[in-house]
Amino acid sequence: MNIFEIEFIKLSKKTRSWLGPILVFWLIMIAYPLTVEYIEDKFEITFFSVLWIAILISMMLAAEDIFTEDYNDGSLEQSVLKNSSFPLLISLKIFIYWLLIGIPISGLSFIFSFGTSEDIILSLSTLPLSLISTYIFLNLFVLGNALSLNKGSVLGALVTMPMALPVLIALGKSVVAIELGINFFAFILLLLGSLSIIIVLVPIIAAYIIKAHLE
Amino acid sequence: MIKKFIHQFASPKTYLEKMDKFYKYLFFSSLLVYSCSLIIGLLFTPEDFVQGNSFRIIYLHVPASFLSQSLYAVMAIASVIYIIWKVKLSAYMTISIAPIGAMTTFIALISGSIWGIPTWGTWWQWDARITSTLILFIMYLGMISLHSSFSNYEKADKLLAWLVIVGFINIPIIKKSVDWWSTLHQSASITLTDKPTIDPVMLYPLLGSILGFFGLIGCLVILSSKYHILRREKQKSWVQNYD
Repeated sequence: MNIFEIEFIKLSKKTRSWLGPILVFWLIMIAYPLTVEYIEDKFEITFFSVLWIAILISMMLAAEDIFTEDYNDGSLEQSVLKNSSFPLLISLKIFIYWLLIGIPISGLSFIFSFGTSEDIILSLSTLPLSLISTYIFLNLFVLGNALSLNKGSVLGALVTMPMALPVLIALGKSVVAIELGINFFAFILLLLGSLSIIIVLVPIIAAYIIKAHLE
Repeated sequence: MIKKFIHQFASPKTYLEKMDKFYKYLFFSSLLVYSCSLIIGLLFTPEDFVQGNSFRIIYLHVPASFLSQSLYAVMAIASVIYIIWKVKLSAYMTISIAPIGAMTTFIALISGSIWGIPTWGTWWQWDARITSTLILFIMYLGMISLHSSFSNYEKADKLLAWLVIVGFINIPIIKKSVDWWSTLHQSASITLTDKPTIDPVMLYPLLGSILGFFGLIGCLVILSSKYHILRREKQKSWVQNYD
């Protein structure tokens, strides 16, 4: 079995780790209509803000225990010692988390968008946004998690959440761009550009950080 | 010779000895420059045509904003030095600067808010410059929290250094935010490449206040680094004999 399969099976067996964030996302999206008086226009205006924040929180929870178990049972230390391409292992882990958590959440966000706006173009346009943003957030929170290894996820979130805020700003502006029909692909390119830098840098930096923890 | 000087200066002991001598000159000259600039700026500079007297908060707001970003840049350089060359002094500098950086960012935000009431009609606006500066403030607090959560100082230093390097991405965002987004905040009046757009009568006291504020905050950094060095090196014989 290669590393991909091992990591995939490891995560899929930890039901709480992958199902938990998806259910939290679902609950936030269900709870949102219950907390506002149902005035359709107002409901739609704030819907996407809630959607992006729900994605942010779910990804924060998703990254929470990405290294915890491996750290506690010593396999993380072994991976650092044995595996010459430790950053690659981290990026693989992130990718598997995104496959099992990020993609389902993006699918759900499409369903919720369509259910709320009843606009298929708008909902389809937000799908790539949620796919890219889930991957970006996951990477950022993995970095936070690496920094605060065995110190709890709150500290990790605190130190990396500020870096996620520019992505939220871009997401907010991109929805406006879709609605007004202006320059939407520029935002997709901006997010893809950010993602391409992040997916290269985060595993490398996270690997150094974890090594610093284990030294 | 330069290498020898750097090696010598990178020693916490030499740094403290040199700073002890340098501190009083820096403090009094900065105090003099900042006081004179403030007096000229507050009492002798004419009113602004549009903003009236409210523009005078510029002599606090602009130096604090400059410092909030400059201190972060210094932290980032120190972190790179620590990661590459393992110079202990640079790790001490990074953690010494963090609370001071948070303080200057807080001053920049508060003074900006006070300035916002007469000029924009609101004390807060979620525009790019203000929001990115708020993010910087939160990052400073996050760095202090991260460092204080580890009892192993060496590990804390390394993790802090990495966080500072990663967080540096926010500095060009703050700097360019007024150009990249349409914001209420005005563009920079003083740049390295263009002629200042501010009248010389207001510009010179402003430059003086920036210089003076830099010096005064530099004194705070020296005091803070002295505290960290003495605390972390307390088992060394030179610290026990330090007066």
